[in-house]
Amino acid sequence: MSIISENAGYFIIAVVIVAALLVWAYLTKRMQKDFSTMTWVLIPVAIAINIAIGQIVVTLKLPVYLDSIGTVLVAVICGPWAGALTGTLSNVIWGLTIDPNAFPWFPVAFFIGLVSGLMANAGWFKSWWKVAVTGFAVALTAAVVSTPIAVYLYGGITASGSSFITAYLLQTGQGVVQAVMSTGFLVEPVDKITTAMLAFAIIQGLSQRFVARFPRPENAQTEGGTSQTQLIIALVVIVLLVLFAMFLLGNILGG
Amino acid sequence: MAVVNLQNVTYKYPLTDAPVLKNINLQVNEGEFVALIGPNGAGKSTLCYTVSGFVPHFFKGEMTGTVEVAGNESSKSNLHEWVLNVGLAFQNPFNQISGAKYTVFEELAFGLENIGIPRDEMIQRVNDAMKLTGISDLADRSPYSLSGGQQQRVALTSILVMQPKVLVLDEPTSQMDPIGTREVFGAIRTMAEKGMTVILAEHKVEWIANFADRVVALYEGEIISDGDPSDVLTSDLLAEKGFGISRYTSVARKAKEMGLWKKDKLPITLEEAVEGFS
Amino acid sequence: MHERLSFFVKRDSVLHRLNPLTKLTLVFGLVLIAFFSPNYWTPQLLFLCAILPLSFLGGIQQSFLRAFIRLILPASGFLFLMQAFFHPVGEKVVFQLWFLDVTSESLSFAFRNATRIAVMVSSFTLFLLTTHPSELMSDLTRRGLPGQFSYVIISTLQILPQMQAKAQTIIAAQRARGLDTESTFFKRAGSLFPLVGPLVFGSLVEVEERAIAIEARGFTSTHVKTSLHDIPDTGADKFIRWIVIGLVLIALTSRLWLS
Repeated sequence: MSIISENAGYFIIAVVIVAALLVWAYLTKRMQKDFSTMTWVLIPVAIAINIAIGQIVVTLKLPVYLDSIGTVLVAVICGPWAGALTGTLSNVIWGLTIDPNAFPWFPVAFFIGLVSGLMANAGWFKSWWKVAVTGFAVALTAAVVSTPIAVYLYGGITASGSSFITAYLLQTGQGVVQAVMSTGFLVEPVDKITTAMLAFAIIQGLSQRFVARFPRPENAQTEGGTSQTQLIIALVVIVLLVLFAMFLLGNILGG
Repeated sequence: MAVVNLQNVTYKYPLTDAPVLKNINLQVNEGEFVALIGPNGAGKSTLCYTVSGFVPHFFKGEMTGTVEVAGNESSKSNLHEWVLNVGLAFQNPFNQISGAKYTVFEELAFGLENIGIPRDEMIQRVNDAMKLTGISDLADRSPYSLSGGQQQRVALTSILVMQPKVLVLDEPTSQMDPIGTREVFGAIRTMAEKGMTVILAEHKVEWIANFADRVVALYEGEIISDGDPSDVLTSDLLAEKGFGISRYTSVARKAKEMGLWKKDKLPITLEEAVEGFS
Repeated sequence: MHERLSFFVKRDSVLHRLNPLTKLTLVFGLVLIAFFSPNYWTPQLLFLCAILPLSFLGGIQQSFLRAFIRLILPASGFLFLMQAFFHPVGEKVVFQLWFLDVTSESLSFAFRNATRIAVMVSSFTLFLLTTHPSELMSDLTRRGLPGQFSYVIISTLQILPQMQAKAQTIIAAQRARGLDTESTFFKRAGSLFPLVGPLVFGSLVEVEERAIAIEARGFTSTHVKTSLHDIPDTGADKFIRWIVIGLVLIALTSRLWLS
């Protein structure tokens, strides 16, 4: 398929960048900081949370995935690399025990963990509205990273409900890559912002003493202000983000 | 020979103001069976963690004073080296299952794999330890399919295989039913009789009276009494503070006040009480 | 008393006795050949000539076929339909449903994709049916995988069923209290929170004590780890691995050659 050979160059560059990032983080000891014994014990629990909630959501027939709450949790209190590992292994184990179609999507889970961890390190997980922004950033990343997988392995149409949207966009004459990415931009924000906010709520519910045991408790230290004002700010921010996403979408659709 | 030596140990958990251990001085000789008693919040668990190295290496916080076990000093050691000398088992048997292994035998070998023990020795140690605690018939079971008492014995055994010099047990029977309690105490007793140095934090005073060499009473972070079980467990000091006193002792104390208890020493167990009253 | 874990079925077969890495190589080899091969019929060939016979060789043909008919076939079939109807490529319309065109190009595309995915899933199912997780992890650890990874994977595999059981209990308890899992969207969304809370917090509190427990067993020890189980890696294993790699390379080169 010509799409593949065109973008193969981009793909290789992306892989090289990620590999370089991993090596850099390892050599500068940034990666090691994420991984204490508490981290290693938390990760299985986080993966199980991912899978359990992901399945409950299916039972409740809600139009979201919510299968990365554990990933974001680990990413915030342990670090981006621990989060990336959690996401990747979640996918692998989901593939091994529930649905092998989940396997190829592990890069998406990897980046969900990585990006939420990086944003948490930069202080963007300390209040409701910042969490919403982080969720949005993660959503965009997820949309971008899942596009090449959907296109190469499935020709753009995966077995999930969002493919109907992709199909519709394809009918309007869009290119495959654009259609898939637009679908991602539409579907991911709701899921990932909710995921981030739920992870934030969980961290709020844990005792300070407990969170302090993990490598990066400072990421979870909430800023001042009453929760009510913060929630209102968060809602405003979410509305703005949604408008922004639609603006992006419009540009992509037009272009 | 003091195998455990705590000198002037004061410790404060992170994010707290008040120290949980205040000026602890404690020496334990090789082969001694020391029972640690005290009300909840007295610092028994913290003391257990201190001897086993988790304070301060795992919990961080501020510690002054010195902690020495088998010639090694805590501040100069790593936790992963320290645990080779001191084994720790605690209340919740379920949380002590590593989760990394599918059978009890493998679970017991888990620690030995980590420290690089050769395979043949590993198998030998596991078999020997299982005989000691009476769990050889559980070898092929999944750790998750066991009862609380069985799980706690597995936890004890998995520490025993590491062949530590000191065994620290933090209320291992608190979450057990009577059968489980009996099983666990039986295992502990076997180990103590084999000459293992044991520090056991416990509430069950009558059992302690029968098997411990020594009782250390902890109250609000300080050691207020340290000596022979028959002395410590019948002392007025403990009665005053309101812990560590069995009902037989209380009854006999009342009886003594009324002139009905003729013996010098107050009883701790049922047998002693019966003997004293008859 | 052996609990059934994920897929593994205990048998004494040629496949079961193969080294885990060999089986892993085999599986990835099958998948890569299916995806690289330019030949249209490769996936089916692989299935009939490799996967199915292997399932007999492994003595797990019943479990495999059951999994295939109940899970893999419907999933691939659904994928096939989705792609046949929605893939935009093609002009020669063969079939029309409503406003959806099925072209011969989209049919062949969908067929190719669905069969490839089916091969992928079948291969992994074969692997899972014949390889015990602890055996796989022991072998990988021996070959250099850090022990912590092995710990995480097996621990997760054991926690999962417990978590799912907990989730079922909570759902049942909430239903008994009138929680509706069938009604309106908002009710269903709202019912998420009382489900998530106990599940999550209950599992998180164990983390600290378990970390202490594994530290007490030398989890962070710097010694070179040894293994209780000795997993053999025979000459036959190595031979098979090299053959598979060779076949994958052939498939890859024929693909590059023809494009």
